[in-house]
Amino acid sequence: MDAASLYKSLDEPDKADHLWRYTPWKRVHPSGDLSEIPVTVAPKLTLSCLDDNVALVGISVEEGIVGAEVLPESDEVTSSFIRAAAGDSVYTLRAENNFVASSPIVLDIDTGDSPCALHLALDIGRHCEFELITQISGAAPWTGVLRSGRIGDGSILNDVVIGHTDSGTLLRVDSIAIGRDAQVKAGTVSSGSERTKADLRYKMGETGGHLNVLGSILSASKMHLDHHVEIHHDAPETFSRLDWHSACGGNSRTVGTGMLRVAKGARGADAGQLFHNLLLSEKAEADSIPELEVSEHDVVGCGHGTANGPVDEEQMFYLESRGFDTSEARDALIAAFLNSTLIEMGSDTLHHWLTEHLQDELNDLKA
Amino acid sequence: MAAKEARDAVGEYKAGWHDPENATIRFDFGLSEQVVRDISAIKNEPEWMTEIRVKAYHHFENRPMPTWGNMSLLKNIDFDKVCYFLRSGEGTEDDWDDVPEAIRNTFDKLGIPEAEQKWLSGVTAQYESEAVYHSIREDLEQQGVIFLDMDSGLREYPEIVKKWFCSVVPYQDNKFSALNTAVWSGGSFIYVPKGVHVEMPVQAYFRINAKNMGQFERTLIIADEGSSIHYVEGCTAPTYSTDSLHSAVVELIALPGSHIRYSTVQNWSTNVYNLVTKRGIAHKNAKIEWVDGNIGSRLTMKYPAVILKGEGSHAEVISVAYSGKGQHQDAGAKIHHLASNTTSKILSKSISKDGGRGSYRGLVSVSPKAENCKLNVVCDALILDENSRSDTYPTMEVANPTARCEHEASVSKVSDDQLFYLMSRGHAEEEALAMIVNGFFEPFTRELPMEYAVELNKLMALEMEGSIG
Repeated sequence: MDAASLYKSLDEPDKADHLWRYTPWKRVHPSGDLSEIPVTVAPKLTLSCLDDNVALVGISVEEGIVGAEVLPESDEVTSSFIRAAAGDSVYTLRAENNFVASSPIVLDIDTGDSPCALHLALDIGRHCEFELITQISGAAPWTGVLRSGRIGDGSILNDVVIGHTDSGTLLRVDSIAIGRDAQVKAGTVSSGSERTKADLRYKMGETGGHLNVLGSILSASKMHLDHHVEIHHDAPETFSRLDWHSACGGNSRTVGTGMLRVAKGARGADAGQLFHNLLLSEKAEADSIPELEVSEHDVVGCGHGTANGPVDEEQMFYLESRGFDTSEARDALIAAFLNSTLIEMGSDTLHHWLTEHLQDELNDLKA
Repeated sequence: MAAKEARDAVGEYKAGWHDPENATIRFDFGLSEQVVRDISAIKNEPEWMTEIRVKAYHHFENRPMPTWGNMSLLKNIDFDKVCYFLRSGEGTEDDWDDVPEAIRNTFDKLGIPEAEQKWLSGVTAQYESEAVYHSIREDLEQQGVIFLDMDSGLREYPEIVKKWFCSVVPYQDNKFSALNTAVWSGGSFIYVPKGVHVEMPVQAYFRINAKNMGQFERTLIIADEGSSIHYVEGCTAPTYSTDSLHSAVVELIALPGSHIRYSTVQNWSTNVYNLVTKRGIAHKNAKIEWVDGNIGSRLTMKYPAVILKGEGSHAEVISVAYSGKGQHQDAGAKIHHLASNTTSKILSKSISKDGGRGSYRGLVSVSPKAENCKLNVVCDALILDENSRSDTYPTMEVANPTARCEHEASVSKVSDDQLFYLMSRGHAEEEALAMIVNGFFEPFTRELPMEYAVELNKLMALEMEGSIG
């Protein structure tokens, strides 16, 4: 069945399902008419390296998709919708076996100013070692990005996605399998679109996989940023951590929902998730649902936690006593809060690039 | 406590016997508007109550089943194969000697009269649909404390009941609150006057005896300003191969400065579906505590809730759940912070064994106008074997920036270090496991009256038997 037929055969998602509880499908559909699959344009993709002196050999973006099936664990409605809307806008980011890059690789996705959809397959070979920054920018009123694929055995990948479209709605779906003994840091930096619905799913289906999912989310004005992260531990000796920091100001709302699912047979699984929310204004709202389903008793440990709170008064007092004015102290604490996950996303070079990006966003927020 | 000692003390599911049915009134299986009207007519209720029942019945009929929880078990419930009303006695007695002998023997075996003499302020014993025994200490009665079964409460204090009935849990709340409102029978009605402290707990004991029985008690507790009360309920049923349904509604109203503690040790047999709605409203500086133990039943879906409506009010929910073979305990808590300076605490502990499934499902919310709220949620789960499962589904909705909210949960197995330590001190492995489990549940048992705590520890030791090897 093709993607459009599959989408049309599915029922409207139920709000009882927490994936849709705070951001119903109707709110992120381009027109609100759920039967409609819009005509979209393909975004412009540019692959480069932060260090201009590094040649892009062994990594490429090619038209078309080979393999990179969407995981069965993924939500069918969103994945089939983006595939249908993307049409021929399908690409594969391929890293050959043993590809190593000393400087972060940047994939720019420029959405333009019309509704835009993309299916990007990740085909990361064995024993690769590099950092990938995927930057989604532009002025499209609606953007759909589906990333599916597999991180090859033994690869070390820091994979950071930055969503800072000027406005509109961003629907992002990740459906990624982690190979045997692969070590992946999956970072999300989100601060741009008016409305974001991200559904990020990872399958730890092979022994020894190691995954760190990190989020640094900044919302302001009337933004509505909803991120769902699902990690499936299906194989023994797999490790995952989720650390998600959301700073929420203005009239905005952030939603963080997580699901850790440890299947029977995933002996020695070690899984944890933490959601931290910093509320910056009276009308901001932050919701967290970190869920846990454990069907294997022989686990190292499975846990989750959430913490919500305002900017700490004692920390404010400390900084003010050291000469910061109130606004500076507050900004410093917000930046530090968001930085605590940014710093974990990759190398110093990557971190430096990200903090510069974040500072711009904080300045925008202040303005 | 050693497992053998526990078995000697309590036997196998000790409440699993049944008496011959000796009904004075027994309705046919199935539910209709006429059944609802007949229940109301038998009880000679005021018209307003009949009308609420009928409205609730129609709501129940039109309301779909929940699409969450354990849907595969929920769909097994056949509402047409449930008896919605069964009367076994001639009325509610205040002397055990006047209770029919077979029923009295049942409660003797359960130890209720003995407990009443030793440590209770009052007792209601419900058998099938209605209370068969009721008493309250004279001195409390003189202080104006009202403790009646709900049917008598409606007869004797219709104005109070009318004011508060459905005020905390409206029949439109969910399918099972609608069902309960339509066919409720029995339960407790308590009013504690201003400033009165009921020092010793009052207890209600609910027993299902008949096959395919539905028990739908309704409990309403109103603690007036500055008063306090501790209510304890226990429940058992015989083990049958056919299913029974228990769907209660409990409404608590804690007026300013009052304190209600509601303790439950649920030990239904594993053919009972236990689908209960419990909710309280705490006014200014009031405190509501739910102490909730779920040991039995096939499926429990129960989420004691507190609405913190008044400034400075406080809520606590301490719950434990044991899920054995074929059981699913889907329990949790809900707390809504609607007023400023309110605080709450949830502690949930569960053990899954022999293929059982334990789920924590909770919701805490802070409304935009509730300043300086603090809340803390802790869920711990132990999985004892490879066939069992544990889930946590917590939801946290925070709409005020001054709120401080924390949630943490962990799922683990019994630590090998702890077992090794206890065994190195001379305990057999099974004893050591029982001790660890009792220690795991200790934050719950220490909140129970001592007699209940001892009984619960025995039960848990028994359930742990055979866990090793």
